[in-house]
Amino acid sequence: MRKADPQIVAFGGGGFSMESGNPLLDDYVLGLTRAERPRVCFLPTASGDADHYVVRFYRAFSAHRCEASHISLFRREQGPSDLRRHLLSQDLIYVGGGSVVSLLGVWRAHGLDSILREAWESGVVLCGLSAGSLCWFAEAVTGFHGAPKRLRGLGLLPFSNCVHYERGKGRGEAYHQFLREGMRGGYAAEDGAALHFSGEELSRVVASRPEARGYRLDVAGSRVVEMRIATTYLGDPGAVPAAPLPEALSTAPAA
Amino acid sequence: MGANGRLPGAATPVRRILALGGHEFSARPPDRAVCELLLRLAGERAGERPRICILPTASGDTSEQIASFYSAFGERSCEPSDISLFRLGRRPVALRDHLLAQDLIYVGGGSMLNLLAVWEAHDIAAILSLAWRRGIVLAGQSAGAMCWFEAGITKSSGKPLAAAGLGLLSGSLCVHYNNEPERRAAYLDAVGEGMPSGYGLDDYAGLLWEGEGAPSAVTARRGARAYRVSGREGQVAESPLPARFLPAPAPAALREDIAEFRRIKTMRKRAGWLG
Repeated sequence: MRKADPQIVAFGGGGFSMESGNPLLDDYVLGLTRAERPRVCFLPTASGDADHYVVRFYRAFSAHRCEASHISLFRREQGPSDLRRHLLSQDLIYVGGGSVVSLLGVWRAHGLDSILREAWESGVVLCGLSAGSLCWFAEAVTGFHGAPKRLRGLGLLPFSNCVHYERGKGRGEAYHQFLREGMRGGYAAEDGAALHFSGEELSRVVASRPEARGYRLDVAGSRVVEMRIATTYLGDPGAVPAAPLPEALSTAPAA
Repeated sequence: MGANGRLPGAATPVRRILALGGHEFSARPPDRAVCELLLRLAGERAGERPRICILPTASGDTSEQIASFYSAFGERSCEPSDISLFRLGRRPVALRDHLLAQDLIYVGGGSMLNLLAVWEAHDIAAILSLAWRRGIVLAGQSAGAMCWFEAGITKSSGKPLAAAGLGLLSGSLCVHYNNEPERRAAYLDAVGEGMPSGYGLDDYAGLLWEGEGAPSAVTARRGARAYRVSGREGQVAESPLPARFLPAPAPAALREDIAEFRRIKTMRKRAGWLG
């Protein structure tokens, strides 16, 4: 059964890559699939397909709760030969962190940019942290290579995005500056916060830490307006039903 | 050849590329012979302590490839370094400045498709082309050898397929030539169907371009050869090239503490202390 709405969950940081022992964000994206034993494919491209990262994914997404696989674009002789068919048959595609510039280059070389759009449109839930969040947006602020830089992502979501948005790291300032210079408005997320989009609309912000927040940023004249978005802490009892209903999504606070 | 890779009296530096069909950075004799050649080429440009940088991009910057590079060059008279494009977050590098300060840039093997895609994303191609024109030696094995040509045969997508390279050298290259028969077969087919003519390189065979003109072939293992592969009206001709044999240098002397440790281990083994 395919879900109607395309969904993307963009983590500012968190999940098994960064929050060992805190499965709240990973549980949340698994829940969105509404599958009893979801098929989850990990794309570790941004790390250069680092072995240790793939191992950590399989530990976190163990066989008793999902059917896990990964695609290594540096070792195509192993793994599925038909990338499109494999990815379109998933319930969840999970993109790891690392270098977003390298990630986008390698994806384009293997045609993943168009396959992932197709997967998204057909209802496969897409998620990821850091580089795995930035990639879904039209524009992104990356600080991976030293000084923060602007870059173009896949553009499934027509906004800009900034991750690891904690204060005192210089990213906030850089993001504001880029916005004043004409970057389109968008969303930022702190480590532990995740932006959940249904279609192109932000439906809610969820968090694996009580204090983690997401932000909406817009430009008004020459001024940048930054709004904190009401965030649901996933650790609160009853914070989220395992599989959120569409009604719940549409009424979730978005500002 | 004079200092800085310039021929005496020549105005422009000699452009040099060493393409290798396949090798490792092990302590085995043919691998030592390849490393000796790399050091010699770098040394001809710089003298005493040439700077040698590995780009392990095609492997996804695996620590394995980087570690084996340092194990081969770490104790030698040179300044080895690496640029890991997937790790710039932890180790920012001024890419252009660092690469243009080298005497030799070595490109490791892996996925040719990903190598070129990541280089394009980071604007590396223009820097490498400039380095080449300045006389910095460009070298590499497998994907790191084919990348300098117009085209190569890569298994980056699973089965062997043609892929475009940077095109600093005209023509095409197929690596692991007689070591991977399906790759050679795909290459011969591709050349028959119009891929530019070029070369086949067995593991431990290499081709060295120095300035204009034909390359010279080298081999670090008996029986490993370089081939000229040309297509003409659907017919493909393959002819081995005469190659200069690269002798392996004597292995580096063991450090005294390691030698001592091994002696003790041998004695213990003889005494039955270890399984």
